[in-house]
Amino acid sequence: MLEKPIVQQRGFRNIVKDGEIIGFQVKVRSTYYRGIYLSEIFPGAMVVDGKVYPKKDVIWEVNGKEYTTDQMETETNVHWCCTNDTATLKVYVPGGLSQGYHDVEVRFKFSSSYLPPQLQTHMDPDEELPETDIPGLMAGNGRHKRRLLLV
Amino acid sequence: MYQENHQGPKRGVSVYSYSGEYGWSMNLEDCLADMYDMGAHGLEILANGHIDNYPNPTEEWLENWFRLLDKYEIIPVEYGHWIDSRLYSHEYVKNGRELDVEESYEQLSRDIRLAHKLGFTVMRTKMGVIDPTNTPVKNWREIIKRALPLAEECNVRMCPELHMPTRLKSRYVDDYMEFILQTGTKYFGFNVDFGTFQNVFEGSFRLPGMPEDGSPCSLPEDIIPILPYVYCCHAKFNYMDENFEETTIPYPEIIRVLKDNGYNGYMLSEYEGAHKDEPGFVTDQLRRHHIMMKRILGF
Repeated sequence: MLEKPIVQQRGFRNIVKDGEIIGFQVKVRSTYYRGIYLSEIFPGAMVVDGKVYPKKDVIWEVNGKEYTTDQMETETNVHWCCTNDTATLKVYVPGGLSQGYHDVEVRFKFSSSYLPPQLQTHMDPDEELPETDIPGLMAGNGRHKRRLLLV
Repeated sequence: MYQENHQGPKRGVSVYSYSGEYGWSMNLEDCLADMYDMGAHGLEILANGHIDNYPNPTEEWLENWFRLLDKYEIIPVEYGHWIDSRLYSHEYVKNGRELDVEESYEQLSRDIRLAHKLGFTVMRTKMGVIDPTNTPVKNWREIIKRALPLAEECNVRMCPELHMPTRLKSRYVDDYMEFILQTGTKYFGFNVDFGTFQNVFEGSFRLPGMPEDGSPCSLPEDIIPILPYVYCCHAKFNYMDENFEETTIPYPEIIRVLKDNGYNGYMLSEYEGAHKDEPGFVTDQLRRHHIMMKRILGF
């Protein structure tokens, strides 16, 4: 079973390879009621303690395989069952994150073909939108924050 | 006991109802065990949401699926799935690309085969829409026509959902009917969502295409002309009060019309109200809903 918040505490850690910290990762679920193909996701940046890691630096691991956000755009056969499985978002930055609390924000929206396209505008979660009247019925502003503790 | 021998409307549940808890406080077995308590024997799952490793479930998952159906006396009634016309979402944003007939058929045929494999006989086939009144994609006729032989071979009926703000008396329901009559097919029909009968709204709630005077999208009797082609219903509800009544949707009238006109399919509870992610809330709502339906149906 997953945790209720979209941003999961479990899975939040530095990534270690050959004894070196080569980056960090955080897992996310979705509150959407169905799974989605990677090509239906509009990923955005990751923000940790105010530092912005642009989306090109955020690698998505789904079903055990890694994808860049560019690769995701054309992956119409890879399905993320986000109702009960996580995606792992990884940023390969040497040294990773420090021990302690971090304010983590992940960004993604997704397309829903059964909704009028008029409700599916402003799909880029990095676009700054006014707080009120945010378009994209299902996706909200696509930004999910949680304070997480790294050991 | 199973309700298959009962003539007339039967009770079931769409796992969609549990979507606020699914994955973090309930799993598929929890949903089916809950249904068993209610004597709800008909099931809808959402393929993309409730089949692990969709569209390629493992043998282990399949084995467990049939074990659960058996254990909780569940009939797999409706397989909810989508034809995502804007699957290439990024291209759609750039140049409006939508799936062509072959690409759509590729998605659809995969789901027809999987639905059949899991024992389903009805599919809620959700096609992409192109405008605020939910008009389906322009190539829907070609897509469905292409899939009819396979649907027949697999004995599954593809059913678009007629859902608020869609009116049962509307141009595109007429278009679907015309297609059914022209092809003479038994493998394409309707899922009617009871939300179309909702006659009490919060404040000035209106969706594009709904009657502007505040009247419901459809009246219960509007279903009669299409009823022979209605293979499943979503028993939509917004809130069940402590008297076991749904005060926004006229259930007694709807069920009477269904009974009087020979409907012999399932009514799958679909909870659309608030507090879905409060553990236990939806279970309580579903139980109230089934008390109501049980009282009206007599079983």
